Amino acid sequence: MPEGDTQLSEITVPSVAGLFVEDGGAGILGSRCTACGTPYFPRAASCHNPACPGSQMEECSFGGRGRLWSYSVANFAPPAPYKHDKPFAPYVIGIVDLEAGLRVVGQMVNPVEEVSVGAAVELVVEALYHEDGKAYTTWKFRLV
Amino acid sequence: MREVVVLGVGLHRFGKSGDAVVGNKSVTALCRHAVDAALKDAGVAWRQIEAVAAASSRFSGGKGWGLNGNDVVEDMGSTGVPVYNLSAGCAAGGNAFNVGYSMVAGGLHDMVLVVGGEVMPKGMIQTSGNEEVTDPEFLRQRCVGIPGPAFWAALARRRMHDYGTTEAQFAGVTVKARRCGVGNPFARFQKAVTVEEVLASAYVSNPLRLFEICAVSNGAAAAVICSKDKARQFTAAPVWVASSAVATMTFEDALPRALAGPVPNGPSFHTEAKAAVLKAFERSGIGPKDVSFTELQDNTCYYELAFPEEWGLCQPGEAEHLLEAGETTPTGRMPINPSGGFVSFGEATTAMGVFQIAELTWQLRGQSGARQVPGARVGLAQTLGLGGNATAAILKR
Repeated sequence: MPEGDTQLSEITVPSVAGLFVEDGGAGILGSRCTACGTPYFPRAASCHNPACPGSQMEECSFGGRGRLWSYSVANFAPPAPYKHDKPFAPYVIGIVDLEAGLRVVGQMVNPVEEVSVGAAVELVVEALYHEDGKAYTTWKFRLV
Repeated sequence: MREVVVLGVGLHRFGKSGDAVVGNKSVTALCRHAVDAALKDAGVAWRQIEAVAAASSRFSGGKGWGLNGNDVVEDMGSTGVPVYNLSAGCAAGGNAFNVGYSMVAGGLHDMVLVVGGEVMPKGMIQTSGNEEVTDPEFLRQRCVGIPGPAFWAALARRRMHDYGTTEAQFAGVTVKARRCGVGNPFARFQKAVTVEEVLASAYVSNPLRLFEICAVSNGAAAAVICSKDKARQFTAAPVWVASSAVATMTFEDALPRALAGPVPNGPSFHTEAKAAVLKAFERSGIGPKDVSFTELQDNTCYYELAFPEEWGLCQPGEAEHLLEAGETTPTGRMPINPSGGFVSFGEATTAMGVFQIAELTWQLRGQSGARQVPGARVGLAQTLGLGGNATAAILKR
């Protein structure tokens, strides 16, 4: 089964429920403080900004486009609780500044040879690993 | 505040489980060796120690609860002294030194033992194993998969973008560090390496290679510190603690330690480390220009380039030039990690902040042999730990 590719016939399951959505546009589920504008992912119960006049949290979804601030490569498989298809294939880990004002970590769909600092990317939801005939998904970034 | 003196220091040479250096020694046995050496160096008997500040390991000993200081006291002899077990990730040793220092400076105790030691698990450091969706570390590992070195690799990659740093320059940092380690009998790695050998080692996390990331080691370090008045009984040429500071990261920090954070306004990297070092400068009245040498936390070669710039020891973007001009060697203008650093020792996490105090002390006494910084008068030490913890200490003679 191709790495990172969700086939239409597969049953897809989020690797962690309630953290991101695929329907209606890929997005990660976080929150934003309406008092100071600070975005959070995952959701935060209260605002962490010490200069914020009053924590007022509102749930929201972050997706769309951004730019790659930097990236690294997992050249070896991380230990559990990471799960991956066999054999292990190295992957790029991106740090992306979304236009929504959030700096997010996530796997890149593209191989290291294609990736560069400052590249434009978009947030997608794709397969992370397969188990019991199901594709377990997560948020990733793709070059646009 | 009272003036504080480092009276004695000791290390157990660093090694790898099963090797000829540390074999199968327990963390308590490693600590025992370091504590005995520090007491002997100080000329102090165990019964004269009034309190213990211990860096607390989550990996070994400590009764499963990180109570490593209690293990040390039981082993040395249960005198009933107060024990403080400090936990701050890789900054724990620096934190323990700060607590010991604060107790002596504040007049609570005259003679305090600071100790840290570690028997590390093999391979990459694993997370807690906790599979709770409320645990951010679980989410990082299950949904993305971020091996520890990947965080450093992203910083190194960003530096390549900002300053044009090359992989050969990163390798050059390791070459310099390992050359220092050749002259250090306590280093785990005492063999020099070439740029070609470093560049031939495998990527652990591109662009960082195996020889550019510190290994995990077993080892221990101890320091006996005391008040100025007490020191008079033991030495005529004390090493002084000019300042000791602790800080945690601030909201403006630009580095993604968890899954996400607000896009920052500027390059505010490692705000905890910078704050600790600047506080140490401020409290001592010592500035970057006064520093004879620095022992900083080089988990990877990136930090030897970035940290001196972030703290004002040199200009932003200048570190590669200083490295290539030999200015970061023990005989250069800005010596960094004359001990050989984490790259030559490997990291025995909780020992590191105390290991730095030992190196500073030997350097300031002129006892560092082949790696001696000529005429060293002021040494700066810095640690950085998980959770946004950092410490800094300045010692002087």
